[in-house]
Amino acid sequence: MTAPDQEQETRPSAAYARRQNVIAAAVLCAIGVGAAILSWQLGIGDLADPGPGLWPLIVSVAMAVIAAVLVVRSAPTGEEERFGRESLVVVIGVVSLLGYVLLFEQVGFEIPTVALLVLWLKLLGRESWRMTVIVSVVATAAIYLLFITGLEVSLPHIVHF
Amino acid sequence: MRILSSRGTRGAALLAATALALSACSVQGGSGGEGGGDYPARAVEFTVPTEPGGSTDLITRALTKSLEEPLGQSTVVVNKPGANGKIAGKDVFSGNPDGYRVAVMPQSLFAVGPLVVEDPDAIQLDEMTFVKGLTREDYVMVVPSSSPFEKVEDVLAADNVKYGTSGAGTGNQLAQALLFGSAKVNATAVPFDGGGPQLTAVLGGKVDVGTVHVAEAYEQIQAGALRPLVAFSAERLEALPDVPTATEKGYDVVVDQRRFVAAPAGLPDDVRDKLATAIDEAVSSEEYAKLLQDNYITRWEADGSEVGDQLREASERFKTMTTELGVNLKGQS
Amino acid sequence: MDFLSPVLDGFGVVFQPDNLLYCLLGVTLGMLVGVLPGLGPAATIAILLPITYNIEPTSAIIMLAGIFYGAQYGGTITSVLLRLPGEASSVVTAIDGHEMARQGRAGAALGIAAIGSFIGGTISIVVLTFVAPLVSGFAIDFGPAEYTMLALLGILLVTTLGTGSILKSLAMATLGLLLATIGQDPLLGTARLTFGSDQLLDGIDFVIVAMGLFGVGEILYNLESLRRKAPKATEVGSVYPTRKDLSESKGAIARGSASGFLLGILPGGGATMSSMVAYAVEKKATKRPERFGKGAIQGVAGPESANNAAATSSFIPLLSLGIPANATMAIMFGALMLQGITPGPLLVDEEPQLFWGVVNSMYVGNLLLLAMSLPLIGIFVRILKVRAAILAPLTILITMIGVYTVRNNVFDMFLVLALGVLGYLMKKVGFEPGPLVLAFVLGGILESAFRRSMRTFDGELTGFLGEPIAATLFGAIVLLVVLSALRALRTRKKAKKNKENDVPPAERRPEDRGEQRDRDPAEHVR
Repeated sequence: MTAPDQEQETRPSAAYARRQNVIAAAVLCAIGVGAAILSWQLGIGDLADPGPGLWPLIVSVAMAVIAAVLVVRSAPTGEEERFGRESLVVVIGVVSLLGYVLLFEQVGFEIPTVALLVLWLKLLGRESWRMTVIVSVVATAAIYLLFITGLEVSLPHIVHF
Repeated sequence: MRILSSRGTRGAALLAATALALSACSVQGGSGGEGGGDYPARAVEFTVPTEPGGSTDLITRALTKSLEEPLGQSTVVVNKPGANGKIAGKDVFSGNPDGYRVAVMPQSLFAVGPLVVEDPDAIQLDEMTFVKGLTREDYVMVVPSSSPFEKVEDVLAADNVKYGTSGAGTGNQLAQALLFGSAKVNATAVPFDGGGPQLTAVLGGKVDVGTVHVAEAYEQIQAGALRPLVAFSAERLEALPDVPTATEKGYDVVVDQRRFVAAPAGLPDDVRDKLATAIDEAVSSEEYAKLLQDNYITRWEADGSEVGDQLREASERFKTMTTELGVNLKGQS
Repeated sequence: MDFLSPVLDGFGVVFQPDNLLYCLLGVTLGMLVGVLPGLGPAATIAILLPITYNIEPTSAIIMLAGIFYGAQYGGTITSVLLRLPGEASSVVTAIDGHEMARQGRAGAALGIAAIGSFIGGTISIVVLTFVAPLVSGFAIDFGPAEYTMLALLGILLVTTLGTGSILKSLAMATLGLLLATIGQDPLLGTARLTFGSDQLLDGIDFVIVAMGLFGVGEILYNLESLRRKAPKATEVGSVYPTRKDLSESKGAIARGSASGFLLGILPGGGATMSSMVAYAVEKKATKRPERFGKGAIQGVAGPESANNAAATSSFIPLLSLGIPANATMAIMFGALMLQGITPGPLLVDEEPQLFWGVVNSMYVGNLLLLAMSLPLIGIFVRILKVRAAILAPLTILITMIGVYTVRNNVFDMFLVLALGVLGYLMKKVGFEPGPLVLAFVLGGILESAFRRSMRTFDGELTGFLGEPIAATLFGAIVLLVVLSALRALRTRKKAKKNKENDVPPAERRPEDRGEQRDRDPAEHVR
């Protein structure tokens, strides 16, 4: 599936992996503590008549404790991967999707869909312009026909027949 | 490794700019919408604040189907569930009052909801133009046929009653809380996630009593699995004429669920009248009548202002009763 | 026999040409919406409701039922090929099914899924025919106390869904439980952890969690390697399962069918839970649990048989009690109402034609689905030959639009994206989504069922022991905990002997039983 040199690219050093593990566990721990505080404020009640906060409190405390143990036991397990320059592609992907969602209801689905496809195919995928144009237009038309014409789903759209 | 090719960036940016320039067209579906011209010039969208399949959904779908002819336009039904109807309401009522997007709303959101959860952001009555009343559904209290409770008096004489409800902020929760509160019965609410699960628990004897819509219980009553004890309607139910009402038993508890069509505030009178007239015609269709009859749902023939009066009256009455009886729906009712 | 004559009459109803046609229409449509992520059978049936007005009731319900179980077949396809669960019940199929696809065994995975689904569905119908009236009581016997214990039992199985460290699985499970608490308090209606947003008041939809963590997370992850190499098309391999595959899956299909049938009857549990339970059971039953998560065929066969068996048996509470077991059944209830038929205990006697017509149509429907899926597998696996650079944007678009259609809400698109980012980050730092998703499903059930129980038991924990089924389940839980503890102890002793292992003993799963992790180093990278 993968060539050995690519593996070198994503396989982090032990120190890197450990640092990454500590950060991930610490983030989880912080979320647990934060959720615990919020749950506490909701009201705990008692076991016979639990308040809204009791269960979230139990869960978030358990999460914080497990995450704390993970912080201590941060030895690399071999499942970690390095973040590198190629991770930037993911950031672009996510930002473009955010833009897509923001425009979706404002201007209908058609134009953002074509735009997103062009961006991903040309910029991220380095397809030829010919391929890009064909795929984005055909796919958008197919989605229109499938969801709006075929299944009569109420997608925001600007093209009417 | 180069991440971005500058040629690609320019191309994409150009395209995005074109996209925005083109975006001035009207968007149909979703939450767009604009007015103008002779109403209705295009499809009218009915937002249902529940999942598909519930009675609101069925009623709306039956209504819109019969509505297309008198309205002379097609109709679209959109399900937008969430927060007991608030998501749909907030979405529709913040739109243009042009009559192209309306919602079918439940009374409970306005009359019962505020008693359960304080919400500074709740939909106010003056955010809506009431178009037309649609339906009324009544509640009946039931026990499994194996239950020792033969009559409603037996329940009210019991010492420790566990009653099922279909969730916090529902009419059946309020009805039972008010009844047990008036009769000074020590009762604990066990809220379930909807009418179906509540009914299952009642049938299985997991709770002592439960209160559901007539349609939900009718078949089970006919089959002898459930025994109806008391109805929360003002008058005896047509479907279950032998079941006494709470009022007859000396407890002035009348709670029902009503549904109505509402548009954003400021809907022009002529648009409202046109829509209301079309709805009048649609509800007289045979299909719609059959649906109501099959589901033991009563018509609520009320025009816009009567809908508003009913909502105000019910809210006020429930609020007064809960305060006077010391019934607290927020916690352990 | 008297009892059988209405059943046989039912076949007469099914074999009327127009009913056969509606059955075919239903299953085809079901398969299509099953493939589309987000757009589920519930929404499709709702869309078709107005059309059913003009169709004869039996035909209408035959068609709608076909959509429901057809969707179970369709959901598998995207799960296996793209790791994108089209339906909630196909989430666990994505774990091993997609791994099989990456090893060039997509055809085998899809084939065994189709065969398992067919067998599971058919067994379920046969059992339903004979015992529907008997087992319908089972649904009613399950109250809050029983659900509490069932959910607790399920949560104990959570870590079996992960392949890595048990501690990481537990961390993800707690995160899943925490995500499940977002929204209104199930009993009091208080908003919890919603940060003041109405959109979160109903909590996060399970479909969104599953599609975000699995599907969107996977796509984002693959973006990294999109341009690293000239993308080589995945080997498609043999289209059909081999004799060896079949013999390996026999047990899984049988067990999956049984657990699927039983869980499907329970309202609220249904197909989703049954597929997860089947996966956990298979992992416990196999001699080589280390293969799970790396393309074990049993991990596809078990859950797929289960979710189809459950889809069929979830008709029992609807048709015999008038209680819809899940969202799709609720709409089916509505469809019957529209036809002027109220489902309830009297339905079998009052409308035998409808009851047995619908039940028997499922034999035909399952056969049609099998006949359709097997030849189609060859076409579907070709999707894998499409270049990743083209497939990725198309999949993400369909996902985003599919998510929108669940509630017609843009907020859900943001949510699925956020969960996708979470799924991507989890993958990078070595956390798995499986335990999170299962805990998410069970968390909501556990909390509300426990609190309902406490109300009915006047706050006394001993109340659980007074309910026979709940007490039995509790006994099973205790037994499971004791057995696991014993096994863990044994493992630890063994592990001390095998010191050459680089993994600290405490982080090893008890199921490993001292076996060396047979991880291929190339597994870490795609």
